Amino acid sequence: MLVVHGVWIAGESAPGRLALWAEDPALPLTTSSRARRRPHPFAVPPGALAAALTGSSDDVRDALAKAAETELVLQLPGTAKGPLPSPEAGSEAPGRGLRLGAWETPALVLPGELALTALGALAEPDPDGPWIAAASLRYLCVLAGHACDMARRGRMLPQLVVESGTPAGRWRPVLTGADAAGYRDFAAAMPPVCRSAAVGGSSDDAGSSATGSVGRTLRDALEVLVDAAARSLMPERMLLGLRPGPRTALAERWLFSLTGADPSLPGAKPADVAELSKPLVGWLRSAHDANGPIRVSFRLTEPPPGTDDWALDFALQSADDPSLYLPADDLWSGTRMPGLPANPDETLLAGLGRAVRLFPALHEALLDARPAAMALNTGEAHDFLRQAAPLLQAAGFGVQLPAWAGRKAVGLKLTTRTRSKTPSGKAAADSGFGLEQLVDFRIDLVIGDGTVSAEELAELARLKVPLVRVRGQWVELDDRQLKAALKAVGKRREGELTAGEVLQQVVDGGEEDLPLVEVDADGALGDLISGQAAERLTPVPTPPGFQGTLRPYQERGLSWLHFLARLGLGGILADDMGLGKTAQTLSLLLAERVDPDVPVAPTLLVCPMSLVSNWQKEAARFAPALRVHVHHGGARKRDDDFRSVVATADLVITTYGTALRDLGALREVQWGRIACDEAQAIKNSGTRQAQAVRAIPARTRLALTGTPVENHLAELWSIMEFCNPGLLGPAKRFRRRFQEPIEVRGDADATAALKRATGPFVLRRLKTDKSIISDLPEKNEMKVWCTLTAEQATLYQAVVEDMMAVIDNSEGIQRRGNVIAAMTKLKQVCNHPAHLLKDGSRLPGRSGKLARLEELTAEIIEDGDKALIFTQYSEFGTMLQPYLAAHLDRPVLWLHGGLSKARRDELVERFQSDTEPMLFLLSLKAAGTGLNLTAANHVIHVDRWWNPAVEDQATDRAFRIGQSRNVQVRKFICTGTLEEKIDAMIERKKALASSVVGTGEDWVTDLNTDQLRELFALDPVAVS
Amino acid sequence: MPVDPQGRWFDNTGPIRVDGGLAVRAKRGKIGEQWWSRRFVDILERTCDPGRLARGRAYARKGQVIDFELTPGRVAGRVQGSRPQPYEVTIAIPAYDEAQWTRVLAALGSQALYRAALLAGEIPHELVDLFDELELPLFPSTLEMSCSCPDWGTPCKHVSAVLYVLAEAFDDDPFLVLAWRGRGREGLLTALRGLPEPVETIDPLAVEEVELQTRLTDFYTPAISLSRLRERPGRVTVPPELLLRVLDAPQIRVRHIPLVDILRPAYRDLADPPST
Repeated sequence: MLVVHGVWIAGESAPGRLALWAEDPALPLTTSSRARRRPHPFAVPPGALAAALTGSSDDVRDALAKAAETELVLQLPGTAKGPLPSPEAGSEAPGRGLRLGAWETPALVLPGELALTALGALAEPDPDGPWIAAASLRYLCVLAGHACDMARRGRMLPQLVVESGTPAGRWRPVLTGADAAGYRDFAAAMPPVCRSAAVGGSSDDAGSSATGSVGRTLRDALEVLVDAAARSLMPERMLLGLRPGPRTALAERWLFSLTGADPSLPGAKPADVAELSKPLVGWLRSAHDANGPIRVSFRLTEPPPGTDDWALDFALQSADDPSLYLPADDLWSGTRMPGLPANPDETLLAGLGRAVRLFPALHEALLDARPAAMALNTGEAHDFLRQAAPLLQAAGFGVQLPAWAGRKAVGLKLTTRTRSKTPSGKAAADSGFGLEQLVDFRIDLVIGDGTVSAEELAELARLKVPLVRVRGQWVELDDRQLKAALKAVGKRREGELTAGEVLQQVVDGGEEDLPLVEVDADGALGDLISGQAAERLTPVPTPPGFQGTLRPYQERGLSWLHFLARLGLGGILADDMGLGKTAQTLSLLLAERVDPDVPVAPTLLVCPMSLVSNWQKEAARFAPALRVHVHHGGARKRDDDFRSVVATADLVITTYGTALRDLGALREVQWGRIACDEAQAIKNSGTRQAQAVRAIPARTRLALTGTPVENHLAELWSIMEFCNPGLLGPAKRFRRRFQEPIEVRGDADATAALKRATGPFVLRRLKTDKSIISDLPEKNEMKVWCTLTAEQATLYQAVVEDMMAVIDNSEGIQRRGNVIAAMTKLKQVCNHPAHLLKDGSRLPGRSGKLARLEELTAEIIEDGDKALIFTQYSEFGTMLQPYLAAHLDRPVLWLHGGLSKARRDELVERFQSDTEPMLFLLSLKAAGTGLNLTAANHVIHVDRWWNPAVEDQATDRAFRIGQSRNVQVRKFICTGTLEEKIDAMIERKKALASSVVGTGEDWVTDLNTDQLRELFALDPVAVS
Repeated sequence: MPVDPQGRWFDNTGPIRVDGGLAVRAKRGKIGEQWWSRRFVDILERTCDPGRLARGRAYARKGQVIDFELTPGRVAGRVQGSRPQPYEVTIAIPAYDEAQWTRVLAALGSQALYRAALLAGEIPHELVDLFDELELPLFPSTLEMSCSCPDWGTPCKHVSAVLYVLAEAFDDDPFLVLAWRGRGREGLLTALRGLPEPVETIDPLAVEEVELQTRLTDFYTPAISLSRLRERPGRVTVPPELLLRVLDAPQIRVRHIPLVDILRPAYRDLADPPST
């Protein structure tokens, strides 16, 4: 497994270059050389690096075709013996005695113009490939993505520069506003190794002072990447006609050098270059003027009632703190505020001067010597709203508009009334409700906040003014909306519809120009539409077969699931992790089967492989009455065997992979329900997995997911398409109607419309909801059941056989030692094969625990939470840290015994005070007393310490006085292994007295050989 | 004073007619419409005897002033009298030196109002006050005048004529007043525009530098997580050609087409490049 690093070699009067080099942890880590410049002992020769990189993908091969094999002198930290390996290459705790040294490192070097393509191709390495990207390379890939984004937004200007004595046309980034802040973040984030090469890349015996500074390296890299991105986006040429020859005017040659492959302008006269570049330099500089700390701000205010006098007030405003706001009027009369430049009126005038270009009407205000505001009539105010305001805002001016601006003003209101004579009391609401039920409906036209009649609408249309006051409230009317509204009043506006039709109308949300903005429905239909069903429905009591107690919110969830299922509607149960989606689902299956005389078709549950045994265990624990069949693995039932076992099952558990492979067989079954757990797995509707689960027919559908679906709209559409096929309409319409307005513009109307459209089908409770917190225990302990991979199982068996033979042949102290060693090895296998083998081999896809840990931590991070992860093996933590950090691209702190007190304090301080979601890996032994890590609300024990007291003590780090949130504690256990058996023993002993097993692992060594063999034996069920 | 039948006054000899001389527009009444021009006329009319003044005004209306040249501190004009050789008139005031102008510029820069007014072609009263406060008055209280004519009276009618013509030139271009004190229009505006912002502008490319030496333990790790770098605040949809619109376009033409006009279509397509 090669760990590939990216280095940016800042150019010396020429564009910089990208260098790739790699560590191979399998090579010896030290060198005997004593020279001042020594060969890097475990850097990969360039040929091998090129082979590894290009073998994995065609894109990478093409991108690296012109890479030069060379040797760089890098300044890297290390000791007298060798350089410090990177965390990805398995660096042990960086101890004392580190110093910078010059290491001759073989590398592949790419010219700057090819760096963008190369970084694009290297951004997503094949997880099964022979190399992984270190943080430095991933950093440069993110920077490349940022450069492309800037170019796509047109944030660059053409310049005439001189590179190695030759003039050249280049695009240069314009860094203002958010881009300037982003640039500073990139500077702060840059891993030092990115700039460990000497400027210009010379391998002369240069001191460490010759390496690039942060600013120089980043600036050079961004300039080179933006230039490449702009060239890739720009047309082949911007002017038609003959290509200019060497004697054409320089300006024309320069223009052609900005597109296409060759930027150079050989032979240009220095005087011409100077003349052309001067205005270009001024242009780029003036673009950066917008970075001042103070900006000019415009505020549009409504006219007083009965007048047509809109006011556009000017002001100065702090860019960082918009509350620092000084109206121009006050400014002219001498008022000042902190943070203003010495000549604030000049700032105002200069800003207004720039704004005229985007808002020509402003010229009039500038005729005044002390412009403070300008008066607009309604037509002009509308022009400002529509045209000038977005441009001014985009150009960095402050713009404040009335709250109604930009909202769709005209919409429809749908009112429905059920016909039942009896008042729909809470209890009776849902009893007789069905989608076929008829309701009376009425559709009204809404403008602003109030309904308007057809006559009023006709009057508004006749006036033909874009801004009107309706019932005291200003609204923007556009032509298309008016036309749509006039058309709508001509249509049927009253009558009766089935509840199902009403629901479909609500989901459709009206037309684009005439959206449904308000729904007033009563009865169960109203509850369903308003998303209140879970609160309003008659609670379904915990079914008798359920072992345990459903918490109140879980009973509400059960009622909701039951209600939707009865209507034949698909639902998304999106409760926060840890709130018991599994228990609610299992209780639903039991509730459906309360009446033994009514046969219920089985439920097919599809989940990631890492969750199969968890479902199996949870079903056995909560709903032992359910007949559960696991359809998974090489030995799964087929054909008639499969059909007969399904016929007698209540719950069939399978994986996404198996569902795809056995689609034919699964489609033949009459399923009562198909449920997808971790429904993010089908977030991409085009994938074969997603298509497969959609193709399996079932009476009703259920999706379980813990990720906040409202943050991932494409994912939401795909999951809804699974739950209620066709209901949300085609993906294209969804994108145009909801996704783009919300994701790009943060459109509040579209957000409300989406909520209305999906609200009936999504139940999402947060663990922070007040009503939930009161239902939750302060410390919620869960066991997470993991399966071994085939590789783990084979290794496990081999270790058992090996060690049993050794134990058999030993006695006394020696035997004790061997038993402990056997346990350690088996626990390491349960963690990860690479943990046992310590061979630096690749991590993904080889461990059930790791797979589950990846999923769980991703969900924790997604929720914006922080977690403590305990392991008793420092070497496993060292493996996990860079892997999880790369997997999540979030901080993963690692506290182990090798850290100084100061460093530990630093980590604790960062974890406690930084608001970013992150993980804190801790070695169980090193995390002794004195740590206070209350910022975490998740605790994960990756491997078990057989002394519950030690685990509890660790858990309490996150659970101290002052912890206001509920803490979720998860203990990972591999099913069918000694971990499960010891867990069972602990539980048994705990039941007697919690102090009994307080003596650690010693008791195991007293077991006789047969007992040991039974303890260690692998139950075949463990293997996935 | 002899007056001819057409009502024209004349000298014994009478002035020689000038073709293309600088005749003032105001054929009767006051010369110098703007208040700043009046300031000169007032000085003149205070110090000159009414007879010469009237003759000077008449000279000015007739266009006897051939031309004049304004340089810092000095106005030199040529007036056609009765002799073939025109009389040479000079009117001098103290021109301010570099140091004095630096003080003036600093004061002017303190309020953008002056700049806006100067750009609009006006001299606000406040400007005069500002010069006065600096004890560098814009308008002289006395003028040092001389003429090559034999008239012993000062100012003579030739000087008066030049002053009237000058006053009207001031009407048209108030910057001449300033130029007389030593700063021409371009020089002044450039100096004003170029005044360094007292608050240092933030260089967007300036970043905090950290020695490699101090990062040995986290040499391979980003100090800000990459996810955070990927987060981009949601922004309003910006037309990609915005930069071209909002900035002062550089005066560059390619094949006679302004550069920005060539770039604009290419920028517009950036967000959504047409597939080739």
